[in-house]
Amino acid sequence: MAQLHLFGPEGTPLPRLEALDIFHIESGGCTGCALELASLSRALLAGSHPIRFVPTPRQAGMLLLTGSLTAGMAPVVELAWQAMPGPRVLAVIGDCAVDGGLFGGNYAVLGGVGERARTSMALPGCPPAPDEILAALVRWQASVRGTSG
Amino acid sequence: MSAKVAALIRQGAPTSCAGRFVLDADAWRAMIAGLHNADLPLLGLWADGVQVHALFRYGQTALVASVVTPPEGYPALSPVRIGAGAPERIIHDLWGIPAIGGRRDPWLDQGRWPVAPPLVAHPAPMPGLPEGREFIDGPAVMQAGGTVLGYGPAEGNFRAPFHLRLGLPGERIEAVQPCMGYAHRGLAARLRGLAPQQAARLVARIDATATVAHQLAFARALHNATGTAMPAQDVAAGVMLGAMERIATHLDVLAQASAMLGDGRSATLAATMLEQVRQTCRELCGRRLLFDVIPPAATFPVCVEGTQLAALAAGHASLHRLFWRPRGLAAQARGKGVLSATMAARWGIMGCNARAADKGPGDITDRLDARLSEIGDSLCALATPPEASVMEAEGGGGEGLGWAEGPAGPIWHWLRLEAGHVAAWWCGDPSLALAQALPVILSGAAYEDVDLIVVSLGLSATGADL
Ligand code: SF4
Repeated sequence: MAQLHLFGPEGTPLPRLEALDIFHIESGGCTGCALELASLSRALLAGSHPIRFVPTPRQAGMLLLTGSLTAGMAPVVELAWQAMPGPRVLAVIGDCAVDGGLFGGNYAVLGGVGERARTSMALPGCPPAPDEILAALVRWQASVRGTSG
Repeated sequence: MSAKVAALIRQGAPTSCAGRFVLDADAWRAMIAGLHNADLPLLGLWADGVQVHALFRYGQTALVASVVTPPEGYPALSPVRIGAGAPERIIHDLWGIPAIGGRRDPWLDQGRWPVAPPLVAHPAPMPGLPEGREFIDGPAVMQAGGTVLGYGPAEGNFRAPFHLRLGLPGERIEAVQPCMGYAHRGLAARLRGLAPQQAARLVARIDATATVAHQLAFARALHNATGTAMPAQDVAAGVMLGAMERIATHLDVLAQASAMLGDGRSATLAATMLEQVRQTCRELCGRRLLFDVIPPAATFPVCVEGTQLAALAAGHASLHRLFWRPRGLAAQARGKGVLSATMAARWGIMGCNARAADKGPGDITDRLDARLSEIGDSLCALATPPEASVMEAEGGGGEGLGWAEGPAGPIWHWLRLEAGHVAAWWCGDPSLALAQALPVILSGAAYEDVDLIVVSLGLSATGADL
């Protein structure tokens, strides 16, 4: 059983993870969700786990958004989505990305992407903790295995 | 000269906000003339639709000069305070009020908002440019020639979005044009009409890396507006949680910088300590990130356990040793991304980055060293919390100003209440000055170092854009 070393002195046992390249975009929140994703990313890296956060959408299979979608970031998100090759999925993490949260639509913000697009994974919270984000990813991977297997 | 300008401001009409005076147009112009030779750093500039307000530091006090703005605009401060440039453009973006003698090209508005200007009572509908405002390279970028590279707004990292156009005629960056507004959420519009408790929840989510400082500055402004003293327990919680936040944010910066420079041991140690801090925060107030903690719950504990502090202190000592070891982070980051004391003063940059510039040339090494020192200081403050006492209110006429020291510098909040609700609000975040100064800080840098320099500054676009 793999250990997620950064989560507590004892580490947290992890189920089997499948390889996944994630491109993350902070699309207009407070970066709280992004900070928790950063913690998760470091822990995954430290444990040499096969889920990676990558610096370009061109090698990603999942587009993961945090924050409400601002008017300025809408075309950026669209471009990133178009740049992703092959099978791709959209995930939204945190209240802002799921339904706008405290930052619903106004002149500068379109709202939560979770309400406007079909997402494969949506995890509310303000922000969800790294272990909750990981659990959601694991659940999603298990559900994909379930439907494909 | 400073005393003369301060006296001139104080001759204006006093307001219900302590330290704020309304000047007539002549006095405002005289103030600008006097500022040429005065040592009054500009801390913020904003509008409420009727007046424009300029916040200065005079010695240890805050002084606000306001002027009523006719539709044709108000005389710009940017010719005498370069840091006024972006706020003047923001005021134009949000209120349509021009600064006479200042720039009018947009800072936040990328041409995608459905109305303009968005904060006036009856904004005009705008078609919205489907492609957004065309990105026109400034003269500096054009002159630099050679390759033009972009940085942001989506780099796959975990920071708030902004964009830079970088002109590289050779190996080194010669021209930089920041493009902000990607993280703008219209906070001033959102806060209007809210009860203070609702507003405080939004304020806590301006920038997660400085949430305690924002909550504290807002709470102080609110206490000043309502004329109520801040209870000693709230003051104590502010000191303690502010220290926790400073440790966490500085560790985050150190972990990122170490990883970028390939120092795996420092990166892992900083990240492990950061995780300890987050878990301690969860134990103390039920939150890993310190949202909604000011005012604190009645049962809030006022100290961190000794064993937790000892573990963090040991980690801090190791981090310090690793930082200064031969070929360690300090040696690797030396000379990169210089923000000297003179530059900091010129751009109105204060706080941690300014203190770093007093340590040496003001490069990344100095900034990381300053953060390491502040982690040590904050751990000491947590080990022996100072005696907290009630903070008396200043003013109480429905308008208040408050500040708190955030991890990247001082944060200011101003608000006006009407019928118990927020009628007008402004926030000054240190990242706006940092964003403005990026062209000089990045000048001469290698493209590969841009990310590292930005991280070392603690620049948060979400705080700058609001
Ligand atoms: S959901 Fe909460 S923590 Fe996440 S970006 Fe939005 S306001 Fe910040």
